[in-house]
Amino acid sequence: MGYRTYLLRRAFYALIVLFVILSFNFALFRLMPGDPTSLIIDPRFTPEAKALLEKQFGLNDHPIVQYGKYLWSLLRFDLGRSFASQRPVRQELMERLPNTISLFLTSFVFMAGIGIAIGVFAAARRGSFTETFVTGAGLFTYAVPTFFFQLLLLMLFGYYIRIFPIHGTVSAPPPEGFWPQVLDRLHHLVLPAGSNVIIGFGSWALYTRNAMLEALSQDYIITARAKGLSQRAVLYRHALRSVLPPIVTLVFLSLPGLVTGAVITETIFSWHGVGRYLIDAVLKQDFPAAQGAFYLIAIAVIVSNFLADLVYGLVDPRIRVAGEQA
Amino acid sequence: MSQALTASKAEVSPRGSKTGRMRSRSGFLGFWSQFFRRPYGVVGLALLAVYVILAVAAPWLTPYRPSDTFLADRLAAPSWAGIFPRFRGVPPTKRLVIPASDWKATGLVAATVTRQKVENNGEATVINLSPEATGSASADLSWTLSYPYDPPKTFEVNIPYAVEAPWDASTSLSFKVVDPSGTEHVVWEKTVYGSSDWKTQKLDSRDYTVKMALGLSFFDDPAQVVFAERGDYHLALHVESSGGSAPVRVTVGEVGFNVLGLLHGILGTDHMGADLWTQLLYGARISLIIGIVAAIMAVAIGTAIGLISGYMGGAVDEFLMRMADVFLSVPTLPILIILSAFFGKNLGNIIILVAAFAWMGTARVVRSQTLSLKQRAFVESARAAGASDGYIMVTHLLPNVFPLVVANAVLMMPVAILYEASLSFLGLGDPRIPTWGRMLQNARAFGAFTEFAWWWLIPPGLAITLLSLSFTLIGNAVNEVLNPRYRERA
Amino acid sequence: MPFFEVRDLTMYYQTLRGQVKAVDGVSFSLEKGKALGIAGESGCGKSSMALTLLRLLPNNGRILAGSIAMDGMSLLDMPEETFRKTIRWKRISMIFQGAMNALNPVHRIGNQIVEAILTHEDVSREEAVKRTHDLLNMVGISPKRFGDYPHEFSGGMKQRVVIAMALACNPDLVIADEPTTALDVIVQAQVLKAIEDLRSRLQLSMILITHDLSVIAQFCDDVAIMYAGKIVERGSAGDVYSRPLHPYTAGLVRAFPNIAAGRSIIRSIPGSPPNLVDPPAGCRFHPRCPLADDRCRAEEPVLTARSGGHAVACHKVDVLAGGRDIWQEQPQSA
Repeated sequence: MGYRTYLLRRAFYALIVLFVILSFNFALFRLMPGDPTSLIIDPRFTPEAKALLEKQFGLNDHPIVQYGKYLWSLLRFDLGRSFASQRPVRQELMERLPNTISLFLTSFVFMAGIGIAIGVFAAARRGSFTETFVTGAGLFTYAVPTFFFQLLLLMLFGYYIRIFPIHGTVSAPPPEGFWPQVLDRLHHLVLPAGSNVIIGFGSWALYTRNAMLEALSQDYIITARAKGLSQRAVLYRHALRSVLPPIVTLVFLSLPGLVTGAVITETIFSWHGVGRYLIDAVLKQDFPAAQGAFYLIAIAVIVSNFLADLVYGLVDPRIRVAGEQA
Repeated sequence: MSQALTASKAEVSPRGSKTGRMRSRSGFLGFWSQFFRRPYGVVGLALLAVYVILAVAAPWLTPYRPSDTFLADRLAAPSWAGIFPRFRGVPPTKRLVIPASDWKATGLVAATVTRQKVENNGEATVINLSPEATGSASADLSWTLSYPYDPPKTFEVNIPYAVEAPWDASTSLSFKVVDPSGTEHVVWEKTVYGSSDWKTQKLDSRDYTVKMALGLSFFDDPAQVVFAERGDYHLALHVESSGGSAPVRVTVGEVGFNVLGLLHGILGTDHMGADLWTQLLYGARISLIIGIVAAIMAVAIGTAIGLISGYMGGAVDEFLMRMADVFLSVPTLPILIILSAFFGKNLGNIIILVAAFAWMGTARVVRSQTLSLKQRAFVESARAAGASDGYIMVTHLLPNVFPLVVANAVLMMPVAILYEASLSFLGLGDPRIPTWGRMLQNARAFGAFTEFAWWWLIPPGLAITLLSLSFTLIGNAVNEVLNPRYRERA
Repeated sequence: MPFFEVRDLTMYYQTLRGQVKAVDGVSFSLEKGKALGIAGESGCGKSSMALTLLRLLPNNGRILAGSIAMDGMSLLDMPEETFRKTIRWKRISMIFQGAMNALNPVHRIGNQIVEAILTHEDVSREEAVKRTHDLLNMVGISPKRFGDYPHEFSGGMKQRVVIAMALACNPDLVIADEPTTALDVIVQAQVLKAIEDLRSRLQLSMILITHDLSVIAQFCDDVAIMYAGKIVERGSAGDVYSRPLHPYTAGLVRAFPNIAAGRSIIRSIPGSPPNLVDPPAGCRFHPRCPLADDRCRAEEPVLTARSGGHAVACHKVDVLAGGRDIWQEQPQSA
């Protein structure tokens, strides 16, 4: 079937991208002038760690052998040990991954949900206040750098009106009991996730509105109205349903951007996640840690791109024909 | 809304082909006359003009350099913030040099006061003491300072002095601040045995010696204690000598007295007392340079790849486009972070890296345009006439994709600016250069939040926002004028 | 009393450039079981009128005057909800240009028909599906294709689906808006045949809107010619074709190849329809009319009945009634 070849092809591209990124990562370490271990200017860098590093990278092997070993270890998620903490990078990343995922799922669900809902509403009521609002919010999103907006919120609600915690994922020490802990985490989540939502929903709303207006101007909408369908049925069953494929695809296509944004959001709100781990590692010149974090982020991006392709094929009945053009 | 309007106008006026018409009036003037019909384009251009003026005229718009520190106290608010109740009564910076003639002798015991020119130090006050007759002699000098403000955080005193005395004389000097209610705060006391050459005693209210002299603990703030009231203060210099067998001559140069203000300039100061307005102006230079250079580089790469890919077709096309796919699939900010850490934090590297990860969109658009141009007769005939591929690409295809390229370049500028700002904000910017991203990073790292220094946070953020907005507005207008058919895509 | 009657129907679009006078004082009537053809060049307000009949106007379309009556019921005075539930599709349905985009690309074609049935009739889904199968059979599509998507059909097949959909609720009146445009000639003929068969079998009343006079000639009882938002001539198909009384009609009739007449020069009417924001004063056709004089430029002609229900709006009606071929005399300008 067309869909299957389409999927196979997309999967193949995803693997190529993964391979290129891995190779790039490898080259970055090895093509540096001099001994890669000498790059690390870190007082904590002990001779044992150096030996470990040399062993880990098998620096005395032939480059091809090194490359093979490297690929094999990355495929097993063996990411080495952090210079800074001397703990396995994989373990450190796994501790942080749930925090990153919780922040992003929350941000994302609300951002896309609110955005799409407002967009549909704006399209249904042309010329209303909502529509003006949506257009304004879309422009705002486009112009205002996320980190600036997040800093403003942090200053306002974290320091001036102290209603939200200023950093971290959970209070130290955490409160007693399950529900207080959940509430505490949610309380910490409000500012980072909320700022993502505020900055992000506008473009969703604007995109949805435009797509809906485009759909509402199609002939099949007149057919639907002529059939005597109610306004709701026309709006949801016909207009919204027909813009769903591009929107769902966009949902997945926007994931990489969010993963990328993780670095900044997590840095600003001192969120104990993968993005901040990356930037901390880079600033500390902790290369195994930086490489591991980057590898994880790259995989997340590749997977979400692939999911976008996959979902697009599922939601749009036309893909079996149109897939060939992709 | 305005887009819809222009679109409907375009439909109304009967004309053969939009592009044909564009090309016929594609002259420089034609472009601008079309451009100026788009209000948001004009707004964008006006905004950009303001930035360019600020960036170019930076040295004339501020008396300071971005690296000048302690122009006022740390985290001084903008001067105009004085209109808010929170900043009413906050002291401005006072830098006073007290001339010798202004000192009033308030008590002289076996002493006379004269003035004398001193090399490099203006006029000095000369105090002649004659302790040899009575055993001790003293002089009190006083100067009145009107201080109608809240307590400052810091004050500084510089006292240049010299003592000529016989070996057996002990001469003590002290500097006091007498507050409006009459309490004396001794800030400095010094006893000199015999003579002393010229020396300048620098006192900073935050120094431990000052706290000792005032009898305060390490954690107290002398400025808060000494200048607790509003009113007329007396700065008093007391000189006393005893035990000498010959006259003693104490020379005091021009005393400097500084109160580091908590209100300063147009935008206040940062954690080092550096002028934020100056940083903002010089930051505009950097952002404009980065935006323009990186965008032009990215678009140049994209155009070259798009042209080659579209014109050559086949395996070359396949390879280049897959390469673009790979670049598009790489998470941009993380890889920029890694690479800028590897290649070193300097401006040139950042520009190159940003350009290296921003060419893909242009390449795709140029490629698709090239594919359709390739079919046209003029390319066919050039090829038939024996023109080389390179010649055809440069002389026939490039001019035709140029309008697309221009619009892409303008729209790329805000992207480049935001990447640089993000990198700087994350601490990966060029540390030698004042950029808006670094201002924000400093604000975050050095206490803008705890002290609610909004004047440190808002201006750079707003500057980035408005600059990227201006490029976006201009880019969209340019795109509409030059590439009417691509209007929806932009 | 006629089964369906439209009187002085006036519908303008409000736009930034002014009012677009798309339908301007249109009147006609239709007997039960008859077919009325409405013809005219594109942009003369035909499709706008079709939408007006089903009250499906875009936000900027306003019905300013006139009445639409069906079985004596005034359709324009009905509340929107009542109209939607009791009239749309149940009594008046529409055949759109299926080859274009009348079917929603993301829904299975069967479900699009079932949806119409379930909206108006209190039947189970199974019953609706069964009826849909029958409808598809009736238009010559295998019910097996119930679950296919529109993009899996050819243009002609899509048009058949659209016809089946129009018949889903057994309407009394079907409005067909350019049902064969954008289909190739052979498919056009097949589709028209299907429509005609169904019409005679189901005793449907029909309003057929097209720019193609030959289609109307083929199976309409009456015909109305529209120009610039107005009906300029109305009558039985035979009368209008054989003895056109309006210069515009005469021009249209000439513009169609007559297979029976052998070789003849086909001529179109010079010029193009006017901008409906600011139509010409007097007779709207005067700028293109070879007979126009000062009266035509100043005074608007009224639709006046001649013999046998044949009505025309032209000051120069006597010239054409006299049998002169006005277009023959007119030199063609490029």
